[in-house]
Amino acid sequence: MSRLNDVMQWQTLSGEPVIVGDVTLTPQAQALTIRWRNGGFVWNRPVAVLVERLGQTERIPIVDVTRGAQFTLLGLGFFFSVVTIVVSIRRRRDCNE
Amino acid sequence: MSDELDKIVAMTERSQEQAAGVVEKLFDVTRPSSVYSEPVTAGDLTLITASEVSVGMGFGLGVGGGQGRGGPRQEMGEDEPELEGEGTGLGGGGGGGGASMARPVAVISVGPEGVQVEPVVDPTKIAIAFFTTLGSMFFMLSRMRRG
Repeated sequence: MSRLNDVMQWQTLSGEPVIVGDVTLTPQAQALTIRWRNGGFVWNRPVAVLVERLGQTERIPIVDVTRGAQFTLLGLGFFFSVVTIVVSIRRRRDCNE
Repeated sequence: MSDELDKIVAMTERSQEQAAGVVEKLFDVTRPSSVYSEPVTAGDLTLITASEVSVGMGFGLGVGGGQGRGGPRQEMGEDEPELEGEGTGLGGGGGGGGASMARPVAVISVGPEGVQVEPVVDPTKIAIAFFTTLGSMFFMLSRMRRG
Protein backbone atom coordinates (compact mmCIF):
# COMPACT_ATOMS: atom_id res chain seq x y z
CA MET A 1 0.00 0.00 0.00
CA SER A 2 2.81 2.42 0.89
CA ARG A 3 4.47 1.56 -2.41
CA LEU A 4 1.27 2.52 -4.21
CA ASN A 5 1.19 5.74 -2.18
CA ASP A 6 4.72 6.50 -3.36
CA VAL A 7 3.52 6.22 -6.95
CA MET A 8 0.04 7.70 -6.68
CA GLN A 9 -1.48 10.08 -4.16
CA TRP A 10 -4.93 11.59 -3.96
CA GLN A 11 -5.13 14.26 -1.29
CA THR A 12 -7.32 17.15 -0.22
CA LEU A 13 -5.39 20.11 1.14
CA SER A 14 -6.44 23.36 2.73
CA GLY A 15 -4.63 26.54 1.79
CA GLU A 16 -3.70 29.59 3.81
CA PRO A 17 -6.83 31.37 5.15
CA VAL A 18 -7.62 34.68 3.50
CA ILE A 19 -9.20 37.36 5.69
CA VAL A 20 -11.49 39.84 3.95
CA GLY A 21 -13.24 42.15 6.42
CA ASP A 22 -15.02 39.94 8.95
CA VAL A 23 -14.90 36.90 6.67
CA THR A 24 -12.22 34.24 6.73
CA LEU A 25 -11.94 32.14 3.59
CA THR A 26 -10.08 28.84 3.61
CA PRO A 27 -9.61 27.41 0.10
CA GLN A 28 -9.54 23.64 -0.35
CA ALA A 29 -7.99 21.82 -3.29
CA GLN A 30 -7.77 18.20 -4.34
CA ALA A 31 -4.57 16.99 -5.96
CA LEU A 32 -3.77 13.78 -7.80
CA THR A 33 -0.05 13.07 -7.96
CA ILE A 34 1.48 10.30 -10.02
CA ARG A 35 5.23 9.79 -9.80
CA TRP A 36 7.48 7.54 -11.79
CA ARG A 37 11.23 7.14 -11.92
CA ASN A 38 11.90 9.80 -14.51
CA GLY A 39 8.93 12.07 -14.27
CA GLY A 40 5.54 12.76 -12.89
CA PHE A 41 2.07 14.15 -13.34
CA VAL A 42 0.04 16.46 -11.10
CA TRP A 43 -3.62 17.35 -11.43
CA ASN A 44 -4.88 19.93 -8.97
CA ARG A 45 -8.41 21.28 -8.82
CA PRO A 46 -10.35 23.53 -6.45
CA VAL A 47 -13.08 21.70 -4.50
CA ALA A 48 -14.54 24.09 -1.95
CA VAL A 49 -14.07 27.19 0.08
CA LEU A 50 -14.74 27.31 3.82
CA VAL A 51 -16.36 30.57 4.83
CA GLU A 52 -16.07 31.53 8.49
CA ARG A 53 -18.21 34.46 9.63
CA LEU A 54 -19.35 35.39 13.13
CA GLY A 55 -18.21 32.06 14.49
CA GLN A 56 -20.14 30.03 11.93
CA THR A 57 -18.47 27.97 9.21
CA GLU A 58 -20.09 27.29 5.85
CA ARG A 59 -18.67 25.08 3.11
CA ILE A 60 -19.33 26.35 -0.42
CA PRO A 61 -18.47 23.73 -3.05
CA ILE A 62 -16.82 24.83 -6.28
CA VAL A 63 -18.58 23.16 -9.19
CA ASP A 64 -16.76 22.78 -12.50
CA VAL A 65 -19.64 23.43 -14.89
CA THR A 66 -17.56 22.93 -18.05
CA ARG A 67 -16.23 19.55 -16.89
CA GLY A 68 -19.74 18.51 -15.76
CA ALA A 69 -21.21 19.35 -19.17
CA GLN A 70 -18.39 17.50 -20.94
CA PHE A 71 -18.91 14.35 -18.86
CA THR A 72 -22.70 14.53 -19.29
CA LEU A 73 -22.31 14.69 -23.08
CA LEU A 74 -19.72 11.90 -23.00
CA GLY A 75 -22.09 9.74 -20.93
CA LEU A 76 -24.96 10.53 -23.28
CA GLY A 77 -22.87 9.52 -26.30
CA PHE A 78 -21.76 6.30 -24.58
CA PHE A 79 -25.33 5.43 -23.54
CA PHE A 80 -26.60 6.08 -27.08
CA SER A 81 -23.84 3.88 -28.55
CA VAL A 82 -24.70 1.01 -26.18
CA VAL A 83 -28.42 1.30 -26.97
CA THR A 84 -27.69 1.37 -30.72
CA ILE A 85 -25.47 -1.72 -30.49
CA VAL A 86 -28.07 -3.64 -28.42
CA VAL A 87 -30.90 -2.70 -30.83
CA SER A 88 -28.89 -3.69 -33.90
CA ILE A 89 -27.93 -7.07 -32.33
CA ARG A 90 -31.59 -7.78 -31.49
CA ARG A 91 -32.68 -6.81 -35.01
CA ARG A 92 -30.11 -9.12 -36.54
CA ARG A 93 -31.22 -11.94 -34.26
CA ASP A 94 -34.89 -11.37 -35.20
CA CYS A 95 -34.03 -11.39 -38.90
CA ASN A 96 -32.16 -14.70 -38.52
CA GLU A 97 -35.08 -16.29 -36.70
CA MET B 1 38.52 4.17 -22.23
CA SER B 2 37.76 3.65 -18.57
CA ASP B 3 38.46 7.30 -17.72
CA GLU B 4 36.27 8.45 -20.57
CA LEU B 5 33.49 6.09 -19.53
CA ASP B 6 33.73 7.26 -15.92
CA LYS B 7 33.53 10.86 -17.11
CA ILE B 8 30.44 10.17 -19.23
CA VAL B 9 28.74 8.18 -16.46
CA ALA B 10 29.45 10.98 -13.95
CA MET B 11 28.07 13.54 -16.41
CA THR B 12 24.95 11.43 -16.96
CA GLU B 13 24.43 11.05 -13.21
CA ARG B 14 24.76 14.80 -12.76
CA SER B 15 22.24 15.42 -15.56
CA GLN B 16 19.89 12.87 -14.01
CA GLU B 17 20.11 14.60 -10.63
CA GLN B 18 19.39 17.97 -12.24
CA ALA B 19 16.40 16.54 -14.11
CA ALA B 20 15.14 14.88 -10.92
CA GLY B 21 15.39 18.27 -9.19
CA VAL B 22 13.26 19.83 -11.93
CA VAL B 23 10.70 17.02 -11.57
CA GLU B 24 10.59 17.57 -7.78
CA LYS B 25 9.70 21.22 -8.44
CA LEU B 26 6.78 19.92 -10.48
CA PHE B 27 5.17 18.59 -7.29
CA ASP B 28 4.96 22.13 -5.86
CA VAL B 29 1.84 22.36 -8.02
CA THR B 30 0.02 20.16 -5.46
CA ARG B 31 -0.20 23.16 -3.09
CA PRO B 32 -3.61 24.91 -2.93
CA SER B 33 -1.86 28.24 -3.60
CA SER B 34 -1.24 27.10 -7.16
CA VAL B 35 -4.99 26.69 -7.68
CA TYR B 36 -6.24 29.86 -5.97
CA SER B 37 -5.02 33.29 -6.97
CA GLU B 38 -4.09 36.11 -4.63
CA PRO B 39 -7.16 38.18 -3.66
CA VAL B 40 -7.75 41.25 -5.83
CA THR B 41 -9.80 44.10 -4.37
CA ALA B 42 -11.79 46.48 -6.55
CA GLY B 43 -14.07 48.82 -4.64
CA ASP B 44 -16.24 46.79 -2.26
CA LEU B 45 -15.49 43.52 -4.02
CA THR B 46 -12.63 41.13 -3.38
CA LEU B 47 -12.11 38.48 -6.05
CA ILE B 48 -10.21 35.22 -5.96
CA THR B 49 -9.98 33.02 -9.06
CA ALA B 50 -9.97 29.25 -8.71
CA SER B 51 -8.33 27.32 -11.55
CA GLU B 52 -7.70 23.72 -12.43
CA VAL B 53 -4.01 23.03 -13.03
CA SER B 54 -2.36 19.96 -14.50
CA VAL B 55 1.32 19.43 -15.20
CA GLY B 56 3.18 16.44 -16.61
CA MET B 57 6.87 15.92 -17.19
CA GLY B 58 9.27 13.16 -18.13
CA PHE B 59 12.87 12.69 -19.10
CA GLY B 60 15.22 9.95 -20.16
CA LEU B 61 18.98 9.58 -20.26
CA GLY B 62 21.22 6.90 -21.69
CA VAL B 63 24.84 6.08 -22.18
CA GLY B 64 26.52 3.36 -24.17
CA GLY B 65 29.82 2.29 -25.60
CA GLY B 66 31.59 -0.35 -27.57
CA GLN B 67 35.00 -1.76 -28.31
CA GLY B 68 36.32 -3.48 -31.40
CA ARG B 69 39.46 -4.56 -33.16
CA GLY B 70 40.58 -5.08 -36.75
CA GLY B 71 40.02 -8.62 -38.09
CA PRO B 72 42.75 -10.91 -39.48
CA ARG B 73 43.71 -10.23 -43.15
CA GLN B 74 42.57 -13.59 -44.53
CA GLU B 75 38.99 -12.94 -43.53
CA MET B 76 38.85 -9.74 -45.54
CA GLY B 77 38.76 -9.09 -49.24
CA GLU B 78 42.01 -8.43 -51.09
CA ASP B 79 40.99 -4.87 -51.86
CA GLU B 80 40.17 -4.07 -48.29
CA PRO B 81 42.80 -2.11 -46.38
CA GLU B 82 44.33 -3.98 -43.53
CA LEU B 83 42.74 -3.03 -40.24
CA GLU B 84 44.77 -3.27 -37.14
CA GLY B 85 44.55 -2.09 -33.60
CA GLU B 86 41.65 -1.47 -31.32
CA GLY B 87 38.87 1.04 -31.49
CA THR B 88 36.50 2.26 -28.87
CA GLY B 89 33.45 4.42 -28.90
CA LEU B 90 31.30 6.01 -26.27
CA GLY B 91 28.18 8.06 -26.43
CA GLY B 92 25.30 9.30 -24.45
CA GLY B 93 22.16 11.27 -24.86
CA GLY B 94 19.05 12.40 -23.18
CA GLY B 95 15.80 14.14 -23.68
CA GLY B 96 12.75 15.29 -21.88
CA GLY B 97 9.41 16.90 -22.32
CA GLY B 98 6.48 18.25 -20.48
CA ALA B 99 3.15 19.94 -20.72
CA SER B 100 1.02 22.06 -18.48
CA MET B 101 -2.56 23.23 -18.57
CA ALA B 102 -4.48 25.72 -16.46
CA ARG B 103 -8.15 26.59 -16.78
CA PRO B 104 -10.28 28.94 -14.68
CA VAL B 105 -13.11 27.07 -12.93
CA ALA B 106 -14.76 29.68 -10.73
CA VAL B 107 -14.46 33.15 -9.28
CA ILE B 108 -15.02 33.66 -5.56
CA SER B 109 -16.31 37.12 -4.77
CA VAL B 110 -16.56 38.64 -1.32
CA GLY B 111 -18.66 41.76 -1.11
CA PRO B 112 -21.50 43.44 0.78
CA GLU B 113 -23.83 40.64 -0.39
CA GLY B 114 -21.63 38.00 1.18
CA VAL B 115 -19.49 35.30 -0.37
CA GLN B 116 -20.48 34.02 -3.81
CA VAL B 117 -18.92 31.43 -6.06
CA GLU B 118 -19.54 32.14 -9.74
CA PRO B 119 -18.65 29.32 -12.16
CA VAL B 120 -16.58 30.07 -15.25
CA VAL B 121 -18.13 28.32 -18.25
CA ASP B 122 -16.07 27.53 -21.35
CA PRO B 123 -18.60 27.46 -24.22
CA THR B 124 -15.97 26.37 -26.76
CA LYS B 125 -15.18 23.16 -24.87
CA ILE B 126 -18.87 22.41 -24.35
CA ALA B 127 -19.61 23.06 -28.05
CA ILE B 128 -16.76 20.73 -29.10
CA ALA B 129 -18.06 18.00 -26.77
CA PHE B 130 -21.63 18.55 -28.03
CA PHE B 131 -20.73 18.27 -31.73
CA THR B 132 -18.48 15.25 -31.07
CA THR B 133 -21.36 13.50 -29.29
CA LEU B 134 -23.76 14.47 -32.05
CA GLY B 135 -21.33 13.15 -34.68
CA SER B 136 -20.90 9.84 -32.88
CA MET B 137 -24.70 9.50 -32.56
CA PHE B 138 -25.20 10.06 -36.30
CA PHE B 139 -22.38 7.61 -37.06
CA MET B 140 -23.93 4.92 -34.84
CA LEU B 141 -27.40 5.54 -36.30
CA SER B 142 -26.17 5.27 -39.89
CA ARG B 143 -24.31 2.05 -39.05
CA MET B 144 -27.44 0.63 -37.44
CA ARG B 145 -29.56 1.48 -40.50
CA ARG B 146 -27.01 -0.08 -42.87
CA GLY B 147 -26.52 -3.17 -40.69
